[in-house]
Amino acid sequence: MTSAAQGLISPQLAQQVEAAAGARLTLCFQCQKCTSGCPIAAGTDIKPHELVRLVQLGERDLVLSSRMIWECTSCQTCVTRCPQAVELPAIIDALRRLSRDSRKVNPDTAVPVFNDIFLGAVRQMGRVHELGLMAAFKLRTKSFFQDAGKLPAMLRKGKLALRPPFVRGRSQRARTFRRVEGSGSEKR
Amino acid sequence: MSYVFYPGCSLDSTGKGYRLSTEAVARALGLDMPELPDWTCCGSTAAHQSNSLLSLALPAKNLLAASGKTMAVCCAACYSRLKVANHQIANAPDTRGRVAGVLGADYDGSTPVKHMLEIMRDEVGLDEIAGRVRVPLTGLRVACYYGCLLVRPPDVMRFDDPENPTLLDRVVAAAGAEPLEWPHKTECCGASHSITKVAIVERLSHDILAMARDSGADCIVTACPLCQLNLDLRQRDIEARFGDRLGLPILYFTQLLGLALGLEPDDLGLGSLMVDPLPMFAKKGIVARPGSGAAASAAR
Repeated sequence: MTSAAQGLISPQLAQQVEAAAGARLTLCFQCQKCTSGCPIAAGTDIKPHELVRLVQLGERDLVLSSRMIWECTSCQTCVTRCPQAVELPAIIDALRRLSRDSRKVNPDTAVPVFNDIFLGAVRQMGRVHELGLMAAFKLRTKSFFQDAGKLPAMLRKGKLALRPPFVRGRSQRARTFRRVEGSGSEKR
Repeated sequence: MSYVFYPGCSLDSTGKGYRLSTEAVARALGLDMPELPDWTCCGSTAAHQSNSLLSLALPAKNLLAASGKTMAVCCAACYSRLKVANHQIANAPDTRGRVAGVLGADYDGSTPVKHMLEIMRDEVGLDEIAGRVRVPLTGLRVACYYGCLLVRPPDVMRFDDPENPTLLDRVVAAAGAEPLEWPHKTECCGASHSITKVAIVERLSHDILAMARDSGADCIVTACPLCQLNLDLRQRDIEARFGDRLGLPILYFTQLLGLALGLEPDDLGLGSLMVDPLPMFAKKGIVARPGSGAAASAAR
């Protein structure tokens, strides 16, 4: 049975991603300059030039459940050097959103959990309280011991504000977030 | 030019030394930069990975509030998000309309955004800085580390050459120190994986630290609170993981500049750094030896 018959191949994927990213990926001619400069290419499952090709080929599941789209550091080196101006960072952001919407997020990554906690804090308080952010992330991911040894020194050196921020305009912020969620346009 | 200061979230906690030193240097140079009242987070990586409209609306809210002034920014990540928002809103009427729709107010993308390094060059002037140096940092070999977001993508940031930027080098040279030629000025430190996937940060940051050491650096200076945190806070773990001795102090450029201007280490937040820079500065004769009483410069 072919992948297409199994529903894994999606001919519309390229158009869908181009629309969501506001970027062109058909221009890529596989020169691999993006991969040459990518800081995470060597250690992840799909290299940047392969990602573009897989999207062109409609390999939906492979792309949306990859580690690569979450391990990308958004360093912008690929798009800076691309001779065809393929906006990979925008394409990867679009794939992240598609990956979440279609529940394909790779179980290895904690990035979506982190992003949700981060944006929840911005919505509530207006700013990120780093100590609270770290505590919430550790609770959600049960990673209590990671970096626990650094806490005393960080506190001693005043690197962690104990008190959460207070910024006026909470109802206005909530309204903005609600409108963003309600906008539901193709290009999110 | 009239400025309003946008510190960003990191400068209230992990980047406290950056805030202290920026404010101290601005005072010393006569720069008036009142903080933007009730500023809110730029949305950072979390917003652009989650929702592009939100990633524009969050910076736009602040840029609108700063209207009529130039926004002074220290954090490379905030700087990037603010400039990307300006770029996208100013160049696409439908984007501007959608942002106005969720903010409930129209913003045209015109509030100028400047990084503190650009303010040093354009407002203060590098010659003026050189003329105000009281403690020349002679013989201090500095690896200037720009990271990603100050310089990339270049058509939006328009900050400097994206492959070999020199503005930070020129500021460091104006302070009397010796900026090094080295190849990792704009390599990525791993950024926000500091929380979500530390192994990536350790590998990338080790490459940068080892290259700086091998290039003969006494220290690294950064212009980004996240870069500073990764290179400094994780340095001991990196040494253990790779069996490599590094011991490189990682300073905010404003701390180095402040020392050169004759400000006190305590006023520049040097105590908030994980790798203590004072022994290195003492060895170079830039500050008094630790434990020898006053932190005043030996040069004075």
